[in-house]
Amino acid sequence: MNRRQRALAGLEEDIREHLDRETRDNIERGMPPGEARAAAVRKFGNVAMVEEETRAVWRRPWVDQLLQDLGFAFRVLRRAPAFTAVAILTLAVGIGLNTAVFSVVNSVLLRPLDYPHPERLVWLGEYDTFTHHDMVMLSDFAEWRTHARSYSAMAAFSYQQIAVANSRGAFPVSAVLIGGDFWTLSGASPALGRLFAPSEPSSLVVSWEVFQRQFGADPHVIGSAVTVDGRAATVCGVLPKGYRFQFPRWWAVQHPEPVEAYLPIDQGDPKIRGRGGQVVASLKPGVSISQALAELKLIQQSLHPPAPPSRLHIDPLLDQLTSGARRALAVLLAAGSLLLLMASVNIASLLLARASARRRELAIRLAMGAGRFRALRQLLVESLTLALLGGAAGLLLARCAIALLVRLGPQSIPRLDEVAMDICVLAFTICISIAAGILFGVAPGVALWRTDLHDALKEGARSTGGAFGLRIRRLLVAGEMAMAVVLLTGAGLLLASFLRMNARPAGFAPEKVLLMKIRLAGTQYTPAAQQGYRNELLRRLGSTPGVESAGISTQFGWSGAPAFPNDPSPTQTHVLHLNAASPGYFRAIGMQLLKGRWLSDADQGGVVMLNESMAREAFGAVDPIGRSLSAPQPAVVIGVLADLRYSHLDADAPPEVFLPFPNRMMLSFDLAVRAANPAGLLPSIRREMAALDPTQPAYDVKTLDRALADSIAPHRFNLFLLGTFAASAFVLALVGIYGVIAYAVAARTREIGVRVALGAQRGDVVGMVVREGMAIAIAGIVAGMAAALALTRLMASLLYGVNTTDPRIFAAASVTLAVTALLASWWPARKAAGIDPTIALRDE
Amino acid sequence: MELLQGTLDLLILRTLAPGPAHGHAIAKAIERQSEDVLQVEQGSLYPALHRLIRRGWITAEEGVSENNRRAKFYRLTAKGRKQLHLETTRWEKLARAIARILKPAEENPL
Repeated sequence: MNRRQRALAGLEEDIREHLDRETRDNIERGMPPGEARAAAVRKFGNVAMVEEETRAVWRRPWVDQLLQDLGFAFRVLRRAPAFTAVAILTLAVGIGLNTAVFSVVNSVLLRPLDYPHPERLVWLGEYDTFTHHDMVMLSDFAEWRTHARSYSAMAAFSYQQIAVANSRGAFPVSAVLIGGDFWTLSGASPALGRLFAPSEPSSLVVSWEVFQRQFGADPHVIGSAVTVDGRAATVCGVLPKGYRFQFPRWWAVQHPEPVEAYLPIDQGDPKIRGRGGQVVASLKPGVSISQALAELKLIQQSLHPPAPPSRLHIDPLLDQLTSGARRALAVLLAAGSLLLLMASVNIASLLLARASARRRELAIRLAMGAGRFRALRQLLVESLTLALLGGAAGLLLARCAIALLVRLGPQSIPRLDEVAMDICVLAFTICISIAAGILFGVAPGVALWRTDLHDALKEGARSTGGAFGLRIRRLLVAGEMAMAVVLLTGAGLLLASFLRMNARPAGFAPEKVLLMKIRLAGTQYTPAAQQGYRNELLRRLGSTPGVESAGISTQFGWSGAPAFPNDPSPTQTHVLHLNAASPGYFRAIGMQLLKGRWLSDADQGGVVMLNESMAREAFGAVDPIGRSLSAPQPAVVIGVLADLRYSHLDADAPPEVFLPFPNRMMLSFDLAVRAANPAGLLPSIRREMAALDPTQPAYDVKTLDRALADSIAPHRFNLFLLGTFAASAFVLALVGIYGVIAYAVAARTREIGVRVALGAQRGDVVGMVVREGMAIAIAGIVAGMAAALALTRLMASLLYGVNTTDPRIFAAASVTLAVTALLASWWPARKAAGIDPTIALRDE
Repeated sequence: MELLQGTLDLLILRTLAPGPAHGHAIAKAIERQSEDVLQVEQGSLYPALHRLIRRGWITAEEGVSENNRRAKFYRLTAKGRKQLHLETTRWEKLARAIARILKPAEENPL
């Protein structure tokens, strides 16, 4: 029982007791009993009123009034179900999309990593100009770890797909070779067995999922022998169920599957020491990133004396992990805010229309003594109720949107699979709902504030007034048009860039190309045995029915100063993409010869083909056929191929040199097969491979079409979201302008009736109404183009092959909206033209 | 004579100063002490009592009256006693000031 209840308990008894005593006193004074009671009550006053007043003492006025306002708000909303439904739906879209984007931002950018001391984790990177991602030589890493003093722990990892085989069979799995303090940094502890020490070769640790899926959850697997890519190894531990590899994965776009096996970087093997990897570390408390970087540069300088280590950088791990998504998410958040603003404007506009219809109701309430603040608060409570209902609907919508986003592709944005709604998201949704409610509640409030009581009441039943409201609404709708232009332009730029990425030359047909990776592993594969495997594989595939063309290829990089004829100075450095391929590969991929001849089986070395970009880079405008190319080894150019984007769609084809496939040690290579029906052909290809060697599985089997689509997954994600925003904006703008014009026509029915009665033609009336709509639309569109010009610049890094100020996109967005506005005002205009003056004038 | 606003509160506090009392007794005491000059509907006592409880100046406790019936007794709290002192001083000052204004000749025989 609280104080209020305790104090009020027994109030009636108290009063009855009071009256009894007074009656008794009166009797003692000699009154007859009946009269004594009446006198007592007279002296006391109205008992019911006293009780009510006493209760009123305990009331908290604002709570009661709020409840009263809320009840009234619900009644008002229920009385106008169509308005309420439209408003809630509009808000649900605006708030829901914002909530979905914020959930992504919250999980991807704001929530710390699941590793111990996430705030101290840093990324030590050295940008590699050939692969375009950070790569550190593992030999360098070993030196860093020995000499650097800034870190409490440092670890390296290097991605590799491996084949694990035991008595049950072989399976491919995504693995990382790890070194240094990897287990400490990631906070791992084994669920079964133990984790290998850094210097313990031939060990394997697998994820809980692999343990379940591949080892049948048999605990005896610990300590058992397996082969990893043909080398003997021991399974020494299993990681717990929730453990995940959360470090940046440059390979995730092409290989989204999770990392499920861990091997030590074999310190004894010189070939492995020479490979590249990625480095993470934990800073010692109190050490800053700039201090750590200065130290690291000194160490690197002493390792590779001539060149200063300019491409070294250290970043917070979370920033590194999400750097690619940051800009896209910022753009999406901005777009989301615009959309919510538009939704609010639309509802403000609707409320204004209602406010003029409710002027009389409000005027009467004011006239009867309700304070203006009280009436204003009533309106605000209505808006907030609407906003929170919209927010609740938005939460539901966001749930669906998030599920869709996560399914759209975990490789689009790092950590996307972690996205979920939590308390932060809920708080965000409530905040933006309230903000929106205040935003769209202000306009009718202002209109009310300016209501002249006298006028409102004098107007009688005819509620045409609200010229001020209409003026605000025109302004709001113009603003809405402007925002729609910005969103449509942004989405248009993304769409144009997406179409540009997907543009492909005739005859390329990547959906007919099947790609896979083969890595020959095991001691039996001497260079001669490898060559034998490759030749036999190509021979078998060549005679498989359905195969149009098959070839193998391996790609690598070269950089240096080869002094090409076109170089302005002989010290100019070049980064070259090299692709060593068998003759069938070029036809399998679908490349086109522009000049000269193809490589043939007879070519063993000393000859190369170039793509156009490479030819231009090395020889300028001079015909390269028959000329000598100095790098990577001196060779004669025999052919020029058309540039083709066949590995990444979101960048131009790099300068590339095509060489004959070498007869050297070449453990891993790509196989490309062109066929009319690649999926149907896959079983026979697998059969041929199994017949050659059943222990060598193929990895990454997918069509070229699929691989290319994967390469632009993040772009597809952005386009999908921004496209949804733009489509919603478009609908909102349409509804907005229609609403205002239709309302203006309804308000002017009498005036139009008079005009028609005085001889105005249908065309005049239509023209008048449409002109009014177009004036609003054009003003909004012009303002929107100016805003878009300033804002689309932020999208530059998200686009390919499209300028941020591409006039065609701007024109398309503006014309689309202008035409929409024309239609939206033409419809009510037609209605206005149909007004019968006799009816309009009688309509008093 | 009509009661000045807020005066009833002061009168209740003053009435409770000697010791706790129930509602009827408070009403009687106010009437008696003011020699029936201040006429008040007895009912208006109750909202005033509850206002004072809410401010923490008095408390209500269940008790048994002399004729063995349940009744609420109202008691002055320490906070209420302080308030009474404050209000009384204020009233006296005000009353003196008004008295000076109303009878300037007697006070200031120039």
